[in-house]
Amino acid sequence: MPWRKYMVIYRSVLLENLQYAANIVVGFFSYAVFIYTFIMLWGYMYQTPGELIAGYTKEQMIWYVMMTEMIWFGSSASSVAREVSTDIRGGNIAYLMNKPYHYTLYVLAKYTGGWSIRLPMYAMLAVVIGTALVGPLPRFPLAAVPAMALCVVLGLTINAVLKMCISLFSFWIEDATPFQWLYDKLLLIVGTMFPVEIFPKAIQPLFKLTPIYTVCYGPAKLIVDFSPEKCVEILAVQAVYLLAGCGLMFLIYGKGVKKLYVNGG
Amino acid sequence: MLTAVKNQMRVCLLSIKYNMMREMVNKVTFLTNVGFMVLNNASFLAQWVILFRLRGDVGGYTFREIMLLWGLVAASFGLSHILFARVFSLSDLIIGGKLDAYLVQPKNVLASVLTSATDVSAIGDLLYGIVLGLICSPGVGCFFLFLLFTVTGAVVFTAFALLLGSLSFWFVRMDLLQSQMVMGIVSFGTYPDGIFKGVSRFLLYVIIPVGMAVWYPVHVMTVFDAGMLLTVLGYACTLAAVSVIVFYRGLRRYASGNLMEARL
Repeated sequence: MPWRKYMVIYRSVLLENLQYAANIVVGFFSYAVFIYTFIMLWGYMYQTPGELIAGYTKEQMIWYVMMTEMIWFGSSASSVAREVSTDIRGGNIAYLMNKPYHYTLYVLAKYTGGWSIRLPMYAMLAVVIGTALVGPLPRFPLAAVPAMALCVVLGLTINAVLKMCISLFSFWIEDATPFQWLYDKLLLIVGTMFPVEIFPKAIQPLFKLTPIYTVCYGPAKLIVDFSPEKCVEILAVQAVYLLAGCGLMFLIYGKGVKKLYVNGG
Repeated sequence: MLTAVKNQMRVCLLSIKYNMMREMVNKVTFLTNVGFMVLNNASFLAQWVILFRLRGDVGGYTFREIMLLWGLVAASFGLSHILFARVFSLSDLIIGGKLDAYLVQPKNVLASVLTSATDVSAIGDLLYGIVLGLICSPGVGCFFLFLLFTVTGAVVFTAFALLLGSLSFWFVRMDLLQSQMVMGIVSFGTYPDGIFKGVSRFLLYVIIPVGMAVWYPVHVMTVFDAGMLLTVLGYACTLAAVSVIVFYRGLRRYASGNLMEARL
């Protein structure tokens, strides 16, 4: 059972995170700040009740941002980038690569253990804030929650894989953090703060080819405006992205470890 | 007295200089960090272009005023992180008992702690902020005000972080609160105050000093008001004084972690 060792890693991180659940609650402050700011912002931008901007009502627009920010804060994919960069730059990778597991899957198992506690807590917070300050989403299909959850899980896994690919470039360049900033800002501005429909029509198809579609836009769009056809389309694109992303991750890691020099210590 | 202050200033400047030199050892990494931070900040332009396509004003601000707001936040944040980056991790030093190394040096403890680290990417923030300020200031006088408010903003950022970080002498887990409250200035400060109403607006002027660090200065730059200018200056000085007093009060309670480490 090759997956059993990763399940053990996952379980140990999960239990560790359960011990420090109170720390996660402290992080709610930043999430609340973002959401409150966006509620105020969109409250100002929508001048009349029932107005549509890019096909979204005010409630849908705010729920969209709440969902994308929930994925952002709840997954904390930056921890993957930080861990991989630190391991490579600090030389710890030399010890980890000899262990009886694949390093990249080890990091992914730890990451999954981390969000398994954090994401549900942020989801609950989002539902409470959204229901209290914005109102429930009209025509929300409860039966489709499992499909939405699958889409969210695939999205944040793809995000972690892509962030790891960027961090693995630390094998060649000393610090890959600046590239992470640009990747994060692409996701934040195009897919997290705004839905793709708000951009000019000419560039919308381009965004659908980027990770924005699979990581943030797709899952959040399904939550605020679910349709079975859209769900199938997003899941299919996510499957392609996940396979291609993992392939790229193994390739970069394989080439990177060949460049590793051990300086002793 | 004057000589002692002068010497102390010299030591602080040397400390900052050596921090920078250390960070510049790898020039490619240094330049990448600075350059990409400028790009990182510039990417938010897209957000405001989109919002201004939807409406002619956002919270009563024009596009130019929003850019002044952004420029001021970036420049103030950058300046405080270049000169006093360590204050933003002060809680870690206190909780981990790592202040010992600073206590035994023949220098002012606070100045020594504050200037012991530099955040290289903050140079990108400062550059971006100043360029935005230069482009968006309607006149030379406004740009000088921008530079003055960059300094007062950096003082507010630093003093606020110092105040919250110093609370770690009394309470645990203040590190998370410190980082989140300080980032709260950036999060709220990059949006116009016109979108906030009632209690939240009041809190953003009183509890999280966004109003004094960013919003008041932008109002003064847009329509000059000597009263507002003096209020900002007075607030920055008072907050700095209070934070220093709280730090030294807390330092009396400091207990070493018996941590053996060398500072090179």
